[in-house]
Amino acid sequence: MKANNELLIDDSSSFHKIVTEKSIDIKNVTVSFKSKGKGVFTAVKDINLEIGKGEIVSIIGHSGCGKSTLMNTISGMVSPSSGEVIANNKVVTGPGPDRGIVFQNYSLLPWLTVYKNVFEAVDSVLPHLSKAEKIELVEKNLNMVNLWEHKDKLPSQLSGGMKQRVAIARAFSINPSILLLDEPFGALDALTKGSMHIELLKLWNLDNRNKTIVMVTHDIEEAIFLSDRVVVMNNGPAATIKEIVDIPLARPRNKKDIIHLPEYIEVHDRLLNLLFDKFSIED
Amino acid sequence: MKNILSKYSPAGTLYFIGSMLILLAIWQLVTFVTKAEIPGPLATWAVFSEMLADPFYDYGPNDKGIGIQLWSSLKRVFIGFSLGSLVAIPLGLIMGSSKIGMKLLNPIVQILRPVSPLAWFPLGLLAFKASDQATIFIIMITSLWPTLINTAFGVSTIPADHKNVGKAFGFSRWKYITKILIPFSLPHIITGLRLSIGIAWVVIVAGEMLSGGVGIGFFVWDSWNGLSLEKILSAILIIGIVGLLFDKIFNVLQKTFSYESK
Repeated sequence: MKANNELLIDDSSSFHKIVTEKSIDIKNVTVSFKSKGKGVFTAVKDINLEIGKGEIVSIIGHSGCGKSTLMNTISGMVSPSSGEVIANNKVVTGPGPDRGIVFQNYSLLPWLTVYKNVFEAVDSVLPHLSKAEKIELVEKNLNMVNLWEHKDKLPSQLSGGMKQRVAIARAFSINPSILLLDEPFGALDALTKGSMHIELLKLWNLDNRNKTIVMVTHDIEEAIFLSDRVVVMNNGPAATIKEIVDIPLARPRNKKDIIHLPEYIEVHDRLLNLLFDKFSIED
Repeated sequence: MKNILSKYSPAGTLYFIGSMLILLAIWQLVTFVTKAEIPGPLATWAVFSEMLADPFYDYGPNDKGIGIQLWSSLKRVFIGFSLGSLVAIPLGLIMGSSKIGMKLLNPIVQILRPVSPLAWFPLGLLAFKASDQATIFIIMITSLWPTLINTAFGVSTIPADHKNVGKAFGFSRWKYITKILIPFSLPHIITGLRLSIGIAWVVIVAGEMLSGGVGIGFFVWDSWNGLSLEKILSAILIIGIVGLLFDKIFNVLQKTFSYESK
C-alpha cells in the first residue's frame, strides 16, 4: 500500500503528482441547503480531495461538521451546490451501482429476510444475470460475512453487528469499485467493532485491495487502524478540510502490535491535537 | 396464527361473558322501565330462535328468511366496499407519494368525506336508475375515505432510510413500489380498510331502508311496519355481531401483515 500511496497527492507539498488511477476526485465542492426561515446553510465549502484506486480513506471530524454530507456527494445522494465530484472517471449525478453504500443505521428493509435484503439489491443492480447467478452471488456474499445460516431471519431478529454485516454483504454483493461507509460501526460495542474492522479488511484483501473505501467516522483508533489517509475536517458550518494525515503503517496491521509503534503514537497524537486543539488545558 | 389463538385466553372469555351480562342487564332494565313496550331479552330470544330455525325460507318478495336478507346485504356491502377500496387505495398511493397530488386531492377529500350517505342516495338513483345499484354506490362513496386517508398517510411517512435504500441500489419504480412502498404502507392500508368496512356496514342499513327489496336494513324497516319489535331487536343483534366479526377479521389481517409484530 505504501507504494500506492506515493502515487497520490502528497498533501504536505500540495503539488499535484501524477496519479495513475484515480478513483474519486472531489473538485471545489460546496454544499448548501436552504433551511426554513434561516436562509442558506452551508455544510461544506471548497472541498478538494483526490482518492486513488484501492485506497482506504477516513473522514473524521466533530458531529455536524459535514462529513456525512461530503460523503453523500460521492454517493450521489446529495448534489454539490458548486463544484463537482468525479467517481470512476464519470461526473456523479446520482447514486450508481459503481458505488456501494453502507448506511449509518444499516437501513435494512425490515419486512425482507436477510437473504431478500441482499437479493433485491443484486436483482436491481445486475438485472442481466440469471436467477441462478443472482442466488449464487447472494450466497457467496452472505457466506463471506458468515450469515448464510441466518438467511431466513428478519432484520429485527439480528444483533446490531449482524445487521451491519448484512449491510456490508449487500454493499459488496453488487461488486462496486467504491465502497462508502457512513459511520458504519458507530452503533456497535467495542468488541464487535474490533472484529468488524478485521472483517472489513479481510473482505478488502479478498478483493485484492482493489476497492476504494471511504469511511466517515469519529473514532481516531478506527481511522488509524483501517486507513491509508485520514481527512480531518474543521468544525462546521461551512466546514473545510483542516488537514490530510498519512498513516505510515505497513499492512497487514495487527491491532495489538501497532499501538506500541512510535509511528502510531505520533499519528494518534497528531489527530488528537487536530481534533481537540480548542479544548486544550491552556484555554 | 399465534395471535388468533392467544385471543382465546380463559380470562378473555370470562370478560366477554361479563360484558354480555351487563348488556343483557341494561336491556332488561330498559324493558322494565318502558313496561315491556320494548321487548326484553327473553321475548326477543323466542322470536330470534324462530327466525334462526328456518333462515332461508322464501315466500315471495316481501317475506324471506333472515339468512337470505343477511346474505344479500353482505353481498352489497362486499361489492360497495371492494369498489370503494379499488378507488381509495390507488388514489391514496398517489396522494401519499406526490405533494402535488396531495395538494390537489386533499381539499376534494375533505369536502366529500363528511357528506351523509343519505344525501348521496338520490344521485345514485339518478345515475343508475335502480335502487340496488344506488345502495352499492352510497356504500362505495362513504366507505372509501378512511382507506384513502390511511393509505395516503402510510405512503407519505415512509422513512428516508428506506427510500435511500431504493436510491442507493437503483431500484426501479416497480421494485420501489413492491418492495418498499407497499410493504411499509400495508399496515396503514389495512387499518383504513378496517375502518371502511365498519362504515360500509353502518351505511347498508340506512341504504336498504331507502331502497327496499331484500336486505337486513329493509328487514328492520319491514318489521317496524309489521310492528314486530322483537324482530327489530333480533336484527340489531345480528347487525352488531356481523360488525364485530368484520372487525375481528381485519384485526387478524392487520396482525398478519404488520412486519413489526413478526
